[in-house]
Amino acid sequence: MNEIEKRLKEEKQRMESVTAPPELGGRLWQALEAAPAPVQKKPKPKWPMAVAAFLLVCLIGYNYNGLAYYGKKIIGFDELMSGTLAELNDKGMGQTIGEQVQFEDGTTLKIDGIMTDANQLILYYTLSNVKDMEHDISFGKITGFLTDSNKGAGMSNFNEEKSEIKGQLTFDPVSPFAKKLTLEVEKSTDDGQWVTSKITFPYDPNQAMQTEIKQKLMKKVKVDKGTITFKTITATPTITIIKGTVNVENLDRVQLPFEQVVLRANGKEVPQIGTGTHSSIGGTKFEISFDALPKKVDSLELVVKEFVGYTKVDETIPLHPIQDQAFQLKGEDLWVNGVKKTEEGVQITIASDVDVLLDGVTIEGEGGEVPLKTTIRQDYKELDDGRMVKERTLLFSTDVVPDTLSVKGMHHMKPVDEVVEILGE
Amino acid sequence: MKVVQLVRKAKKGNKKALLELIMAQQDDYYRLALSYMGNAHDAMDAMEEMIVSLYTNMGQLKKEEAFYSWSKTILVNRCKQMLKKQQKVVLMDEWEPAPADVHNPYEQKEQRMELQEMLLLVNDYQKEAIELKYFHDLDYETIAGMTNVSIGTVKSRIFQGLKKIRDQYRGETHE
Repeated sequence: MNEIEKRLKEEKQRMESVTAPPELGGRLWQALEAAPAPVQKKPKPKWPMAVAAFLLVCLIGYNYNGLAYYGKKIIGFDELMSGTLAELNDKGMGQTIGEQVQFEDGTTLKIDGIMTDANQLILYYTLSNVKDMEHDISFGKITGFLTDSNKGAGMSNFNEEKSEIKGQLTFDPVSPFAKKLTLEVEKSTDDGQWVTSKITFPYDPNQAMQTEIKQKLMKKVKVDKGTITFKTITATPTITIIKGTVNVENLDRVQLPFEQVVLRANGKEVPQIGTGTHSSIGGTKFEISFDALPKKVDSLELVVKEFVGYTKVDETIPLHPIQDQAFQLKGEDLWVNGVKKTEEGVQITIASDVDVLLDGVTIEGEGGEVPLKTTIRQDYKELDDGRMVKERTLLFSTDVVPDTLSVKGMHHMKPVDEVVEILGE
Repeated sequence: MKVVQLVRKAKKGNKKALLELIMAQQDDYYRLALSYMGNAHDAMDAMEEMIVSLYTNMGQLKKEEAFYSWSKTILVNRCKQMLKKQQKVVLMDEWEPAPADVHNPYEQKEQRMELQEMLLLVNDYQKEAIELKYFHDLDYETIAGMTNVSIGTVKSRIFQGLKKIRDQYRGETHE
């Protein structure tokens, strides 16, 4: 221990002989007695911190891409979004809009957000203050610079109070040069007139999702009554669209001729979303849409499993007695469910698979051969085993109950099994 | 662990527990107050203010074990505030002899003078730090809290102060 520290220690020891005066305790007690009870401090509310944190997240979120999707997610459409769209929305691939317009009757239309890519524009909207249960609102097209997009499919949901509708609508893709988009909406007034309103909202083409595959196909597939030409495939994050032309004479004889055209990615079928055809001068064009492709595509092929065709039948079916069992028409089932004489003529109710359309149907009996006049009712029914059948009632202009039903031929889906390879292994 | 229990009681507003805590170290508090205030009267005033302040702010004490360093820090702050009010700077060499009723600690006047001379060599900050450490047995952390500086600064003040004295002292012995 050095000298100074020794000195300091000595001084301390000397100081230790100083003791508190005896009255200290009493004085301190008096002071304490006089002291007012401390105000019990309430725990400080935590919410100012929460608000501050929230604002911070919002601020950072808008400026920092990694967090940006918290601000961009289109909220409240979980029920309407398919898996692919919900996933994209979760990743913040949509654009939130928030523009709204109020109609005369107080109904408000709000554009919540859009998702765009080279194939389509998907619009998410909310109708609030809905008074009329009826859909007295009709969406028109979306216009903008170099943009004139027609409405496609849509779906919507009521909330429980039936006061709000949330909906999803698809439109044709919009131009990448458009900065503003205008949606036309028609709303019926009380006196039955339709008033057109327009709602304009900003659009950021940079936020459109990138096309993943865009390829010319130009592949022809021969089917029973003609050819299908697959021209292009455009795969975007929201949807995959195949376009082409079709030259098949009995195309319109079945309801969904392209239903059995499937897209296989990595050997697995991509769910089909919809098909459509429209005829123009150049022939009939078609469009088949499928769900988005998986992230990694090693192989991609189109398979025409079945397509509409024609089969000669030349069968005569006895109508007495009516049988529960189906008749076999070249591999297709045909049920005769009833024969009835009415004022209009003889009605025969038959059922078949949904894709079967009979051709050259006549009845024969004492009244000779009577051709089919018309089909008067058509219903889709589900059999006990889940099979969907089409039941319709055929009308013949005769008052004589026939003995037999003759069928010359039928339009139906025939196996094709042609594969169009788009991407090889 | 008795301290912790008393502190907990005091925190709940028990005045007797608080007084008991202070009285257990009453001499330490008193000496600390006296070293700043210079006389018994002001030292006791400072302690009165301290105990009222402790009573109203008991809730702010997070660690029960830290009661003594916390309360002594408050005492030092009270002393400094009172000195400021009085516009009075009390240096150790100006200490008046303690009042008659207070026991006079300074018997060996010669040595005391020598030490006071030594402490005159260092600046007020260094002196305060040295006194708090060596006379009042306070740890660096508490001293740092009392003097509103970092622990590093406290250590440096003490070291530099002692060095100054040592250099001077050696100089004298070498003569």
